[in-house]
Amino acid sequence: MGKRIATFWSLEWLGLLPLAAFTFLIVLPIVWMISTSFQSGEKMYQLTTEWIPSVFHWENYPNGLSRAAFPRFFLNSFIISAAVMIGNLIFCTLAGYGLSKYRFRGDKILLLLILSTLMLPMEVTLVPTFLIIRKLNWLNTYQGIFAPLLIDAFGIFLMRQFMLRIPTDYIEAARIDGAGEFKILWKIIIPQCKPAIATMAIFSFRDSWDQFIWPLVVVSVDEYRTYPLGLVRFGEDYGNPPTEQMAIAVLATIPVFLIFWILQRSLRTGFTMSGLKG
Amino acid sequence: MLRIGRAQISVSRWQLGYESRIQLWGILFILPTILFFMIFKYGPMLWAIYLSFTGYDIVTEPKFIGLNNYINIFKDPIFLQALNNTLIYIMGSTIAITVLGLGLALIINTGIKASRFFMSSMFLTNIMPILAVCLVWRFLFHPYGLVNQFLSPLGLGRIDWLTNSYLALPAIIIVTAWRFAPYFMVVFLAGLLAVPKEIYEAADIDGVTPISRFLRITLPMISPIVFFVVVVSALLCARIFLMPFIITGGGPGGATRVLSMLIYETGFSYLKMGRAAAISVILFLIMMVFTILQIRFFSKTEEY
Amino acid sequence: MRKSAKKERISDVVGKEVTRRSFLKGVGTLGLGLAATSSMNRLAFAQPKGPIKLSFWTWQNPQQHAWIQKRVKLFMEKNKGIQIDWQYFTFTDLGKKISVGYATGTAPEGFATGTWLMPTWLSRNMIAPLDIKLLGYSSLQSFVNDYPKAFIDGAVKNDKVYGYPVYVYGFLNYLNTKQFKEAKLDPEKDQPKTWEELGEIARKLAIKKGNKFERQGFKFAMHAPMWTMVQFNPILLQCGGSWFDKSGKCTVNSNAGVRAMTIRASIIRKYQAEDPADSIATSPLPMMDFLKERVSMFSTHCIPIPAVKSQNEKMAAEGYYRPVQMPGVDPNKRYPTAYGFNFVVNINASKEKQEALHDLYRFIMSDLVDCWKDTGPFTPARKSGWADDPQVKSYPHIDEIIKARDNGALLPETPVVNELSDIMHQTVQKVTLENADIKKALDEAAVQVDKATEEFKNQK
Repeated sequence: MGKRIATFWSLEWLGLLPLAAFTFLIVLPIVWMISTSFQSGEKMYQLTTEWIPSVFHWENYPNGLSRAAFPRFFLNSFIISAAVMIGNLIFCTLAGYGLSKYRFRGDKILLLLILSTLMLPMEVTLVPTFLIIRKLNWLNTYQGIFAPLLIDAFGIFLMRQFMLRIPTDYIEAARIDGAGEFKILWKIIIPQCKPAIATMAIFSFRDSWDQFIWPLVVVSVDEYRTYPLGLVRFGEDYGNPPTEQMAIAVLATIPVFLIFWILQRSLRTGFTMSGLKG
Repeated sequence: MLRIGRAQISVSRWQLGYESRIQLWGILFILPTILFFMIFKYGPMLWAIYLSFTGYDIVTEPKFIGLNNYINIFKDPIFLQALNNTLIYIMGSTIAITVLGLGLALIINTGIKASRFFMSSMFLTNIMPILAVCLVWRFLFHPYGLVNQFLSPLGLGRIDWLTNSYLALPAIIIVTAWRFAPYFMVVFLAGLLAVPKEIYEAADIDGVTPISRFLRITLPMISPIVFFVVVVSALLCARIFLMPFIITGGGPGGATRVLSMLIYETGFSYLKMGRAAAISVILFLIMMVFTILQIRFFSKTEEY
Repeated sequence: MRKSAKKERISDVVGKEVTRRSFLKGVGTLGLGLAATSSMNRLAFAQPKGPIKLSFWTWQNPQQHAWIQKRVKLFMEKNKGIQIDWQYFTFTDLGKKISVGYATGTAPEGFATGTWLMPTWLSRNMIAPLDIKLLGYSSLQSFVNDYPKAFIDGAVKNDKVYGYPVYVYGFLNYLNTKQFKEAKLDPEKDQPKTWEELGEIARKLAIKKGNKFERQGFKFAMHAPMWTMVQFNPILLQCGGSWFDKSGKCTVNSNAGVRAMTIRASIIRKYQAEDPADSIATSPLPMMDFLKERVSMFSTHCIPIPAVKSQNEKMAAEGYYRPVQMPGVDPNKRYPTAYGFNFVVNINASKEKQEALHDLYRFIMSDLVDCWKDTGPFTPARKSGWADDPQVKSYPHIDEIIKARDNGALLPETPVVNELSDIMHQTVQKVTLENADIKKALDEAAVQVDKATEEFKNQK
């Protein structure tokens, strides 16, 4: 016992330095992005990097935000991503559960069918999807943007894989006790899938946060534009310091990071199978 | 793990009815998804497949031309080059992402101090806006940029990452791995956390070596997750095109043009949507075959 | 105003004795007549019309779109009955949105397009012929005389005009005069007139430390296929070559083409004054290498002063840069490519909206001195009505800029211009970055272009 504590302790600390160094290397481009966002315009494209700006141009941030209706763009992006996240949480959990725990003939085929929605690049389905949204009169609306993204095969697949590990006798026992299917899902399955649910929430938010081509096609008014559309137009503009674009990029990272930070706490707890042995 | 499932479909009529009632619930849970997919996914997909047999320039009506698109595509050296690039890209990136992602998750899971902080920092690589990512890496990979500056002690001289047709695709693979390994690290971590500690404790008592523990216990326990990561990262890489598009524009000489980029160019730049749809269908079939193979391979590991 | 015109007309046409039937008949014919005459009697902007809603999309260029927006706002103030939904997009996104728009019936009524894309829209019958009278020209000839040849060739077909030119500019060779003087060269007298001279001077100006260029002599921008086309096009034409022969077959691999490509690669291969892999050019600022003084000469469209200022204050303040004409194979025949943007009208737009668009376009371009003030040195396409203004004349080297526009050659007219650009871009990359054999690379390119043309025909 004592021996194990000793090795454990030294691993904890010995591992710190290499991990920190490695993380730093990986994170270097992000440090560059943040550092550049505080630089003046002409320092943007230089090969010799000034990691810590000699002069901090804080004004890049308010200036960048004012170039276009960015506060509105960010709000729109947030609404869309939140909607997609909620949609995924509800429907992907249901579908993932159905796929994983209910064995019926052809469920592998169904899995394949669901995965197939991830196999066709969006470009070719752009026009028909657009036509559908137009028929629903949802052009230039929030629902028009988030509707096609509401349920994603990624989330379904993720939930399925995690739920596979949950022993079915748990469920059987609950059924015998007379619990309804929904109650089983809510009280037994979901609490044990917290890490997976957190992961799915993070990813669905993040994936829709970055969406570009679809909002570009569906939206033609500033009222509903999402921030990537604003960022791109910004980039073509040499009239304003390009470092302001970096400032916006840094700001864009924050909401997703916050969501991640909040949800990654759930990645702390595993689960134990106490009471099931034997 | 206990074996159940099929073993429970027994003879008794009561039990049969019970089974099918349960199965009905299963279908009910999946129903909203199926309906949604019918409208928003399968409909457009079928339309795209139909398009692949037509000549369609977006602005006029599609004209049926049978297999012409497919015939022309396979005679086209540009397509074949893109196909080759795509296969290399998908394989290289998937392997890199899976190995790196799992490795990082394992390291974080060992409980090194402040590893959560590092994990969160690494995840930033995935949420940085793609435009900024491409800008940064274009400069990092510049002949006189940071990457070469770091590598200069190795005495390799100047490396033209983005302008050498042999190095450009590996460079894009590096950027892809950089961006997505942390993404999937989180998934792996969730998977590792789901492994009950009791199992490790039992192994420790038996005095198993770390490597053996990994191979015999950890890996099988998280195999559904490994399956997930391999399949999803491959599907993701098949569709990625903004990254190579902005960093190298498909160059030099088409060395980094992947199928998704070719589809985009053919459809929106050349206004040959029918042909683009045909290329998409081919890509679709490739990914379908790959996924089926993966399902077969991993189905042995799906135990209940 | 209409009502009173009607009353007068009735008594004129029908006469004092008006029976009901003849009255109604008269009104019928009047209706047609009125429509005809009203368009001819149209006074451009001040006339109030019924409420019309238009959508008008343009491309993004920081000065140009801001100026267009200004003019559109002004127009709406003067014409309360016309509401314009004005949007701007980056150039590539604009193309996407327009194609999707046509496919789904949501295309704008009016939009701006690059002149090289005219064959794309024309071959698919997407844009309407313009009524030049509504644009203020009494005859086709007067219109043709007012615009550079490069534009006319592309936008006038069968005596019908399909685009209303906004900007046309030609590429120039920008020289860093400070570096010239340091090398004891005179930017005016010693400016390269032929491609050989360009190579020689570039060699003199390049500074190399070992394997690395501290300063390159001359650079061709290689960041985008369209730029590759614009830069290679005049070289090909100057060598006596052509893109296509009369039957439509691609002839870029002819002897002239090989010669042109050799010239293109000569700065790298023969004169060793350029490193194609070493560039910090970006999409918004392709001339970045020039602005950061990493190269002494650079081929680009006119560089606005704000662009210089944003990256090199010293250069902007001291002004040690100037444009000259691109070199030529023949020193007396130096010309670049001229290209630009024009306004077009969606063929599906209603007649009323089309006419309103004519008014809008004409109004936008009615004050070119104002255009110059806001967007110079980008040259408006029109020849008349602004170049003599003292504000224009005082702009440094304006004569070179206008000369480039007027002498510029047209980009190849083909509906597969995007495929052609991509293919040529890759060919140039192979030749410059991988030292590929020029004849072989051009042969491959010609085959691919022919394939693309063939497929285009099949899809129709």
